[in-house]
Amino acid sequence: MSHRKKNRNVGIIGIGQTRFSSHREDVNQPEMIHEAVSAALKDAGLAMKDIDCIVHGNMELFEMVHQPDCWHTLGTGAYGKESFRITTGGTVGATLSCAADNLVASGMYDIVMAIGFEKLQEGHTTGGITNMADPLWFRNLQTGALTGSKAYDMISEFGEERAKKASVMYRIIMDKHAVKNPMAHRAFGLEFEQLDDLVRTSPKLVGDLKLIEMCSQSDGACVVIFAEEKTAKKISKKPVWIRDHITVHREETFILFGYDEKHPVPMTHRFAAENLYKRNNIKEPLEYFDVFEMYDPASWWAVDWIRDFFQLKDDEHLKLVENKEIMIGGKMPINPSGGVIASNPIGATALVRIAEAALQIRGDAGDHQIPTEVKHALASGFGGTMWTVLTMLEKDLNW
Amino acid sequence: MSLEYDKKDCFIVEGKLALPYTYFPGRLGSKFITTIRDKKIIMGVNCPKCKKVYVPPRQVCEKDFTDIRDNWVELQNTGEVVNFTVVRYDDRHLPRKAPFVLALIKLDGADSPFMHILEEIDISEVKAGMRVEAVFAKETTNTILDIDHFKPSKVAKISMSDRSGSAGSCDPGVGSVPHMKKQSGGRGDMYNKVIITAALTGAATMKNQNENVPYEPEEFANEAYKCYKAGAAMVHVHARESNGMATHDHARIKATHDAIKDKCPELIVNLSSAVGMGKTPEQRISQIVAIKPEMASLNTNTMNFSIIDRKTGKIFIDFVFENTFTMLQDFAKAMLENGVKPEIEIYDMGGLDNFMLIGKQGIFSAPYNLNFVWGVAGGQAFRADAFIALKNAMPENANFTTCGVGQDQFPAITQSCLLGGHMRVGLEDNIRVPSGEIAKGSYEQVEWAVRIAEALGRVPATPDEAREIMGLKKK
Repeated sequence: MSHRKKNRNVGIIGIGQTRFSSHREDVNQPEMIHEAVSAALKDAGLAMKDIDCIVHGNMELFEMVHQPDCWHTLGTGAYGKESFRITTGGTVGATLSCAADNLVASGMYDIVMAIGFEKLQEGHTTGGITNMADPLWFRNLQTGALTGSKAYDMISEFGEERAKKASVMYRIIMDKHAVKNPMAHRAFGLEFEQLDDLVRTSPKLVGDLKLIEMCSQSDGACVVIFAEEKTAKKISKKPVWIRDHITVHREETFILFGYDEKHPVPMTHRFAAENLYKRNNIKEPLEYFDVFEMYDPASWWAVDWIRDFFQLKDDEHLKLVENKEIMIGGKMPINPSGGVIASNPIGATALVRIAEAALQIRGDAGDHQIPTEVKHALASGFGGTMWTVLTMLEKDLNW
Repeated sequence: MSLEYDKKDCFIVEGKLALPYTYFPGRLGSKFITTIRDKKIIMGVNCPKCKKVYVPPRQVCEKDFTDIRDNWVELQNTGEVVNFTVVRYDDRHLPRKAPFVLALIKLDGADSPFMHILEEIDISEVKAGMRVEAVFAKETTNTILDIDHFKPSKVAKISMSDRSGSAGSCDPGVGSVPHMKKQSGGRGDMYNKVIITAALTGAATMKNQNENVPYEPEEFANEAYKCYKAGAAMVHVHARESNGMATHDHARIKATHDAIKDKCPELIVNLSSAVGMGKTPEQRISQIVAIKPEMASLNTNTMNFSIIDRKTGKIFIDFVFENTFTMLQDFAKAMLENGVKPEIEIYDMGGLDNFMLIGKQGIFSAPYNLNFVWGVAGGQAFRADAFIALKNAMPENANFTTCGVGQDQFPAITQSCLLGGHMRVGLEDNIRVPSGEIAKGSYEQVEWAVRIAEALGRVPATPDEAREIMGLKKK
């Protein structure tokens, strides 16, 4: 893949999130977004006039609103400013970050504000997502974002008991993290003792994908402010540097003609990670990174994807989960924020991964802060037809 | 044109998607709707910093995020139509059977207009500027349709003539009363197009000062054409005899006027009602009545209007430019009756007050077009703060342009352009370009004005756009 060195270094200098929840009757869309915009400006110590450009994103049609960026200007502050709308599905939050990074790195703008939001309670996600499907082949069959095929794969590979337990173990760990994050939407206070019960009793959605294992629908917004190196150093005491990001599409969701041994299922996550590490000369990602904020829409996917993202073999990923090495304080803490299973305001979700990774590097994550120093963080974004955005964040400008 | 191709075996998938949604308008939106529903009161919010009253209400001011959510103000159920459209097709999502009128209505006490249905009036009678009042729905639906519609308001005293917001429909033959407006705080509207006027001669600039000053009708026409090509929308004309003297002779003025219109039919021609030194009131206004140009100057105060050596203060020609209240009144009436839009010449704050005072008779038509004149020996010199004071003192529904004599010309027009006003240049006011060289003609100064506009991000208005802004009827 062609890739060039950045023209200018780019740092994150401001972060703002709303609390994520199932309903926000008290605010309309621009008002809700404004909460995160205000928080990010306050975090950066900036006023709206300091922002050169705005990138705004969410899922297409999920609120049943056309061109939301145009009528959100009151909340976003885009009134009279340069502004772009981005919508790339589930990855949109990560793509917002990529776009902001590119816009600043290019020299076009010194300070860019990325805004991701979703107010899912207002729309009809299946109505929106069904639009994505091919009208002839899939539209009549589409069930939204649910799929049980990963559970089937993992059970086939590792046996029913081990696979099901690993998935629910991951789920409980995420809940334990979410309890520490005041912004998280769902924090139940699950205990490891409940593992067997949950495996048995949680209602099934599709195949072996259970209700407890699936992410929620959330309302909320996330805002991240990006600045070029000189500005970032001047404004922020703790800028977090964007080292690199990669976006990969391999379009393997709709495999029309079945699986073929000669052409195995391509793994977008693994492919993206492999290329990102290669060009950044990272040999052992599990050793290199201090934290990983993963876009984990369901715990089956999450467990499986750990193997891809860290280039692991066989059951290494299961062991990480089983030994609780993915918990805060473990070898590779994953989603100290509670992850997507806890909060999923889709247009903001992937941007929250980057924001939370940056908070960990700054040491500002509060109760869910990792106790040891975080120098290198990884954040992922995931989208409907299996595409991946990976972002590397660094504490020091020394690579 | 239909494309011919083979459609055999081409299957078409017919589909239809339902798009269900819920919408949370938030606390502000909720209160706005429930207050209309329960109390039949329309509420807005007021920004304490910029003083703007927004309706529908919003949490933050669009300018600087000032939190305004708690500053509720009660608005009147009456207001003014800012603009409107006629819906002429039927569709399921529309609130009425076609044809019906959707109007942008600015409620009394509000600064931002909002859209609603206008009924109980013949569509052909609907005009921008008309006064309307809300009619509340008998049965509530918890929507904006709890205001069922707006209808024409009976209490409209000034409404029939006060039509600024929308130019096209303004009639220079209908009078109105200028009203004091709220101070805008100096915020110029830089999005408006800028009208550039070229004052080709005046009464006093002679060929021995700048050989490009036109005397003959044909010279006027050629010079006007060049100005138009350079970006001017209007020319201001004092006709001259062949010997260069300013003239009140109807035939000569008409010949000059018509020569310009023949050569350049689009241009707005603005004739002087001052004409030149020593002309009687009758000589000054009768030519306007006879020729009926689209626009004519109208001076607002009696003042010294002399020729003085700027370096030494030595008096060359001392002259009192007479513009009594009676003349102001009579000229205004004559122009109103003859459909000539006055360009109101303001030489100082007193002149503006004179216009406001005589304007109480309702003999000026909105929008009012003011010209701030600087640097006349006998008037005030250009000062930026004095300019802002004049702008802030303008009545509602007023446009402003400016001109400055000699070295005041370019600073004054730059200031005007910056504040959202218009610009007048031309050899009447100044024989040079900013470099100090003798101008090749008024058109060269127009080119400079265009550069100023460009630098400030404004676009010169075409003559038709200028007509719309100033409320002129093309003749």
